[in-house]
Order: sequence, then structure tokens, then C-alpha cells
Amino acid sequence: MIEVLLTGIHSSIQDLGRLGMQNLGVPIGGAMDQNAMQLANRLVNNPLQCAVLEMSFKGPKLRFHQPTTLALAGADMNARLNNEPIDNLTAIRIKEKDIVQFGTAHQGKRCYLAVAGGFKTPKLLGSRSQYLGITPEATICKNKLIPIDTKKINFRKGAHIAAHPKACHKIQVYQGPEYHLLPKRAQEQLNEQSFTISVNNSRMAYVLEEKLTHQLPSIWTAPVLPGTVQCTPDGTLIILMRDAQTTGGYPRILQLSDAGINQLAQKSTQDRFQFELTEV
Amino acid sequence: MKSELPFRCFTLHPKVVLLEWSTSPDAALLQKLIGFQKAILKEVDEVVQITQGYCSLMLYHKSEVHYIENYANRLYALFESLTAPIRTKQKTWEIPVCYEEELAPDLKSLAKQLKMSTAKLIHTHTSVSYQVYFIGFLPGFLYLSGLPSVLECDRKARPIPKIERGSVAIGGKQTGIYPLDSPGGWHRIGKTPYPLFDPKKKKPCFAQAGDTIQFKSISKSNYFALETQRANGTLEILPL
Repeated sequence: MIEVLLTGIHSSIQDLGRLGMQNLGVPIGGAMDQNAMQLANRLVNNPLQCAVLEMSFKGPKLRFHQPTTLALAGADMNARLNNEPIDNLTAIRIKEKDIVQFGTAHQGKRCYLAVAGGFKTPKLLGSRSQYLGITPEATICKNKLIPIDTKKINFRKGAHIAAHPKACHKIQVYQGPEYHLLPKRAQEQLNEQSFTISVNNSRMAYVLEEKLTHQLPSIWTAPVLPGTVQCTPDGTLIILMRDAQTTGGYPRILQLSDAGINQLAQKSTQDRFQFELTEV
Repeated sequence: MKSELPFRCFTLHPKVVLLEWSTSPDAALLQKLIGFQKAILKEVDEVVQITQGYCSLMLYHKSEVHYIENYANRLYALFESLTAPIRTKQKTWEIPVCYEEELAPDLKSLAKQLKMSTAKLIHTHTSVSYQVYFIGFLPGFLYLSGLPSVLECDRKARPIPKIERGSVAIGGKQTGIYPLDSPGGWHRIGKTPYPLFDPKKKKPCFAQAGDTIQFKSISKSNYFALETQRANGTLEILPL
């Protein structure tokens, strides 16, 4: 068990989500940056789909009620184990009663905590990913205990990956189903302009500040998926993220690649980027 | 003579293909979409799941579709080979809705936009039955066809942050019920106490594509009585 002493800003249990239930309107969900989530799992010898703790912007303070091994990947949150700094991308042994505390994210916005064997909260509709309406809470709660696996892994020296997250200003996208209906000028704008993430950004969607000039008609409500870029009647661009709805009525002008979603997940309010259009 | 392709086949992601029909949605297209989904899931191993829209299907694949030989033509041939409409068990559900102002924050403004009285709006909304086209947007959100054309309206220019669970709303040419609190761009004209989605149930959503829905106007006191039952978990929803 892990006791939550402080929750941080938005910390939630996430695995790879609920692929296969979208015909009931269930969002796919899952870790925002699945690249970092899987790196953390790899370091503690977990299957890549094991549930991890996703920590956004500012991390929690946790007390471990059992020994385990943990690893961190993604944003650097100045993690401390019993007040001593610990590194990301390194497997670290934890004893009973150890306290791990996180600060504010830099070099990214989301950090992933994997423990040996994974988090063991109940599965609902085939996944542990927290999503309000399917799980009782959207995030971890203060003073509550979170079950984790009791698996022990042996290693002589902490496993370590020598990689540093690079800030990426180009987000890879494909043409969306309504891209070809955009006027030439709007297409050029998408290809050449920099875009800014507005304060309105969450696990569900990122709304951008810059608007597009267009006269696209509404469409008959149609399927969307994480990474779909919608364009509202007033030209606002909405990038759907992991907790995205399954269908929508706004024209879909672009589609982020999987890598693009992972990279965008490490960005937040006021961060800027460019779309890089490629063929599917 | 070269015949027109029956639908557009668009790859929007290496593992995802969108099939899109250019016609307006109607009951005949719905039956074809329901039948075609069954056929695809049976015949095409690579497809892991399908999401349906009014005039489109989104196919998720195990691996990159780029490697599936002659894929679009295979799908066209499969679609053309479907002849008899596939029979599915289709049920009718009566949904109680309170249309009183306290539970319907956009009723007055929408009535004004549509240039009719609120009573006329409510009467029009409850006087017809609707067909479930598909479930999407949120867990258990039913997309319904059959909205009388006099109730068609513009969606809100931008979505509002929170539409409450159970809200019955109109947006564009569509009407629907919000199964969870959610942001949304539709006009709220009433509220239902019915449980619409339960993740602990084997069948989390009561209805399925092809079913029929009728709205029944109820009083505020009746609404709150049913809402108490729902909160206690004793409110069952049964087909007519």
C-alpha cells in the first residue's frame, strides 16, 4: 500500500486505457505520455501496460507501507526519497515507511511513477485508468491508501536509462478527414504558424489560443480519437487528448501521431509548438 | 459504366481507417451500418473495434493498415455483398423528463431562438419517438434521430464547461441525454433521473443502436422522487 499524504495538482492511476469499448461511448483514456509511462515500467521489469501513477504539474507526497522498487520517467519533479534527491530513469529500492515527495515539474509537465508489479486498484471495464464516471474518482485522494503489487525484484545495481527528455517544438500530424475542405490560407496557417496552448488544457483536450479563419460547415457527428484536432465554428482549435470523447460534430482537420500526443502531453499553458504535417 | 464508390475510405492514422457515406442519415443507412459492422468484425481479422457515427464508421486495427493488401477494395466488396438487412432485437424505452425551468436552464432561450412557446417546445419534443443511431461522445450517450425539424437550432458557438448528468438537450439537428457531468455545446431543455450508464454492470448501457426512445414529461416532484431512487440504486430501467 502507498499512503497519499499530499495529492499534488492532478495525480491519477493510469494504464493503457480501455480500447474496445468506444462503441459504448467509453473514452480510451490511459497515460497521457505513454512513452514515459512505458519507460518507467521497463525500469522495474514490468509488462508495458502495467498501471502507473501519472503526476501532473506538481507531484504528491507519498508514504510507502511496504518495500518495493520504483522508477520515475517523464518530467523532472525534483523527487526526494526521505529528503534526499533521487534521479529519474533509475530503479530505486524502497523500504517500508519511506517517504517520496515531488515538487514542481520542469523539463515537461507529467512524471510517471512505476512500482514493481504495478498499481493494483480495481479494474473497471478492463482498465485501472481513472476517469470520472467510470472510476469513483478522477484523481488519487488525500489520506487514502493505494494498493500496489508485492512483487520483489532483485538487482545488484539500479537499472538506469541514459536518456534526457528533449523539448520538442514540432508535433507530427496527419491530415484529418476535413482538412481538404479548408481554404488554402488556413492550410498554410496550420503548416507555418506557431500555436500556443491556452489555459484551457486537460487530459480531455487542449484548446489553442490562435484561431483559424474558415467557413467549414458542421459535420454529422462522427467518430474522433485521441489526437484529433477539431475546428469550432469560431475557428478555435481543440486537440483531443487521452480522455477525449469518442465522437464529435466539429470538423476534424488534423490528427496527431502517437508520438505527437506523447510530446504534447509534456506541454501545457503558454507552451508553443508547430504542427509538422506528414503522410500517414 | 463505372459505378460510384459506396463510401469514402480515409486513413487518418496508421492504425485507424474512417469509412464515410455522403448521404444524410436515415433508417436505411442505419440498418446498413449495423449490418456492415457485424460483417467487418466477422470477416476482417485485423479490425479490433469499430466506432459508429451518423454516416461513418471508424475502424481500429491491430497493426498498420498500410500492410493490408487491397484493403479498401476488400471493404467495398464486403459492403456490396450484404443483401438482406441483418435482424437485430430492437427495444423501446420510455424516458421520464422534467422540463421545468429549474432543471432546464436553456429552455427559455431556446424557445425564444425557435420563436415558439416553451409549452410548444416540450409538446413537440415528447410527441415523437426517436431512434438510437449510435452511442458516443461520453459513456452511454445516445445519439437519437427523429428530432422534429422545427426544433433544429444552432449549437452554442463554444461549449460550456459543465452540463449536468441527466440533462436532456438539443444541438443542431440532434437531441440527447448527458449520462455524466460534461462540457457540451447543446441547449439544456430538461432533465431525467434515469440511470444511463453503470460501469459495474456487465451491460453498462441500457440501449443499443437501433432501439427506440420516447420522452415523457414528468413533474418536478416526480423527478425528485425518482432521483432519490436512482441515488439509492433502486431505480431500474426497463423496455416497454
